[in-house]
Amino acid sequence: MIYIRNGSTLAGPMAGSETRRQQILEAMVRVVGRKGYKATSVADVIEEASTSRTTFYKHFEDKHDCFLAAYDMAVERILGEVIANCSSEQSWLDRVRVGLSTIVELFALDPELARTAIVEVAAAGADARQRHWNAINKFTEFLEDGEELAGGRELPDNIALMAAGAVSGLIFDELLTGRAERLPSLLPDLLFAMLVPYIGPGAATAEMRRAATG
Amino acid sequence: MEQAGVGDRWRPPRGRHRLPPEVVARSQRERLLEAAIRVVAAKGYGPMTVGDLTKEAGVSRTTFYELFEDKEACFLAAYDNAVDALVRRVTRAYESEDAWPDRAAAGLAALLETLAEEPALAKLSLVDIGNAGPAAQRRYRAAIQRLTPLFEEGRDFAPGGRNLPANTSRMAIGGVTGLLSDELVAGRAERLPALLSDVLFATLVPYIGPDAAAREVDRLKR
Repeated sequence: MIYIRNGSTLAGPMAGSETRRQQILEAMVRVVGRKGYKATSVADVIEEASTSRTTFYKHFEDKHDCFLAAYDMAVERILGEVIANCSSEQSWLDRVRVGLSTIVELFALDPELARTAIVEVAAAGADARQRHWNAINKFTEFLEDGEELAGGRELPDNIALMAAGAVSGLIFDELLTGRAERLPSLLPDLLFAMLVPYIGPGAATAEMRRAATG
Repeated sequence: MEQAGVGDRWRPPRGRHRLPPEVVARSQRERLLEAAIRVVAAKGYGPMTVGDLTKEAGVSRTTFYELFEDKEACFLAAYDNAVDALVRRVTRAYESEDAWPDRAAAGLAALLETLAEEPALAKLSLVDIGNAGPAAQRRYRAAIQRLTPLFEEGRDFAPGGRNLPANTSRMAIGGVTGLLSDELVAGRAERLPALLSDVLFATLVPYIGPDAAAREVDRLKR
């Protein structure tokens, strides 16, 4: 579990409350990842977080409200890991490879996080799906520089969204059959899916082979 | 496309009539299937009750339970029915052309038009399906699989197509549904046909690359 900790504020009573809130969000990610959003109740979440109903409702209006906050936290965490592993000195290709590999490794180690972030968010109502698309758009900002690599070609405005759709579609399929731990073996295909709109199948296949052997 | 409202639909005459019972049942079943699509679009799957369905379709509760076990069974049948019609229309359009890029363009145009004409069905099939539980999600994946040939023919068309990853059609489909979902989540189904160029590009690009895909899109736009 990764909590955002700030040593200077942890001592005060508000900090305790913030930690509680984080624990509830973490519990929501766990329970939804295991049982699915529909089947998850507030009772499950407070049991998982070892907290009281009163504390839960002090922080959140209801299960849905808590889920949205938990989803945002999950996205922040995934994006945070990706950013931590990438550096501006890397080429665009390297950043794409490192970014994708970070995501699949994280998901393989934490299938509950993966299911909550990719599959269950679809079951949590229209505003949750809206956030999901916003999150995907946030990840696609990472891809924007790919246009340079495309060598001055006129590419569709939506190209990053296509690439992200292809990647999230493959991950979604794999998770739907409950095989989060197999995601890293999908990395070459994911890389191909991400690169092909920019550099074409020949060059994308070469990158895919490189990823498979390296 | 002209869409018949509930009131315009033929219903069996009330009271004593000589229609065979299976004809009456079929009409009641169809009305319930149409009602399910409309009710889910209006209020979502979760809050939908059997009462909403019987009211919208104008059938009794008893009739409902003679035809379906519960609301999920009714919804899944409605979903299958709607997807079936959609896939048939796309396939017909697609098979009317010869070369793969033209076939893909025709099929995708039919897909976008159908979804734009029936925003309720569009939102249901691509966006809200996750709400309706794992059985519905599996149905959705199966429906998508039925459209795979439209994409997979690219393998024969593309030079070196045999060497492409096995998942290529799933990627192309993911790219397309990504573009569509973005509009549908924002509630802009009517704008889907304007996406044809982008959706076609997303379909062609994994097989033939960005240059050839852009050329084909240009050619087919004319």
